[in-house]
Amino acid sequence: MPDDDDKTLFAAVVMPYLGDAYALARWMTGTRTDAEDVVQEASLRAFRAIRRYAGGNARAWVLTIVRNTALTWMAKSRPVALVVVDDLAAVERRQVQLGNTDDWNCVADPETEVIAKADAARLETAIASLPSPFRETLVLRDLQGLDYREISQVTDVPIGTVMSRLARARQRLVETVRGNE
Amino acid sequence: MASAAQSNSDRSTLLVHAYIDGELDPVNAIAVGQQIATDPALAAESARVEALRRALREKLPATELPPGLEARVRAAVGIGQTSSTPSWRAMAASIALAMVVSSSATWLVTRTPTSDDMLEPVVAGHLRALMAPQPIDVASGDGHVVKPWFNGRIPQAPRVVDLSQAGFKLVGGRVDVVGRAGVPTLVYQIRQHLISVTAIPDAADASMNQTATAVRGYNVVQWNAGGVSYVAVSDVNAADLAKFARAFRDAR
Repeated sequence: MPDDDDKTLFAAVVMPYLGDAYALARWMTGTRTDAEDVVQEASLRAFRAIRRYAGGNARAWVLTIVRNTALTWMAKSRPVALVVVDDLAAVERRQVQLGNTDDWNCVADPETEVIAKADAARLETAIASLPSPFRETLVLRDLQGLDYREISQVTDVPIGTVMSRLARARQRLVETVRGNE
Repeated sequence: MASAAQSNSDRSTLLVHAYIDGELDPVNAIAVGQQIATDPALAAESARVEALRRALREKLPATELPPGLEARVRAAVGIGQTSSTPSWRAMAASIALAMVVSSSATWLVTRTPTSDDMLEPVVAGHLRALMAPQPIDVASGDGHVVKPWFNGRIPQAPRVVDLSQAGFKLVGGRVDVVGRAGVPTLVYQIRQHLISVTAIPDAADASMNQTATAVRGYNVVQWNAGGVSYVAVSDVNAADLAKFARAFRDAR
């Protein structure tokens, strides 16, 4: 039975991170209304589980619940939007490396200018087009500022996988932004 | 052979990303920093990642919480705008959180140490750091990584400035203890020398000019600005340390 302690704990542990929760849900689901549904559902899950919050990193705890809720929610409503694990392994096997295209090694200045000129709409489209495991890793690191260990906790993969997904996500983003030029 | 070279290249690439993210221990950070400086392909990757992170930070608007969502969440779990009488357990949680959340707002109010009280622990911190396996706790050349790292560890993250134009490269930061308070220390590198600059909250003398001394064979320069005492310690020569202090004061 929930009591006042649960409510106060929820107010202290979950409420401060509602903005982060909504931002992650928004990037994962792609629409505002879906994100609102996910945040409400995740909040209820967090409330029911609040006694299992063992102290420590409240933001990572909240974002873990939001992410799992979003995945369940997307699997139910839009199964095609999810990359299944077999496909992902193939995607991750693709080389995260330098020099696999002719101009990838060229002098940095012109291409960093292209990146710097990209506007918000182009960046948002590029992020939205990333496969979801890459997208969530990039969003957690570069938009929400989590460190690798926190991302490993939230996305439930080893740190090595976080590193390769992040590198690949950034490289794809750069390719997309340059390709649109 | 080709696949070994391939996986080395993959590994170097991942390390460049980890370097920019401040995720490497100091030994690896310095090694990767040198690789970036000498390998044009890694330098290009580093420049792309930096440019991308800057674009994401500066161009993307913050996601706004939709109006009413917070109220709907509160209603769903049955809490009002103001919570009911808190228990000790919830109080403890909220205090711990408040300390983290508001950590960037104000300096912790402590007894202001006098100048002499201050120098000894700062130099000791520098010495201890030089002897420790890691002279810094967060290793990154990116001020946008180093500054947030301090949030939650100490009351206020220090001013972090880019002095690479003047030849002083940011390598990271750590928390030192002066009096009974944790204070932020930034570590810069010039040639083979490390410079520790510690920022100590100090309202006593708001704008003391730059003064140079030596403590236990180390050059020390201190100055006050904006109500904060800065102490820079290094084994680099006094002229370079004075130049560092001027560059740090003048940087925006």
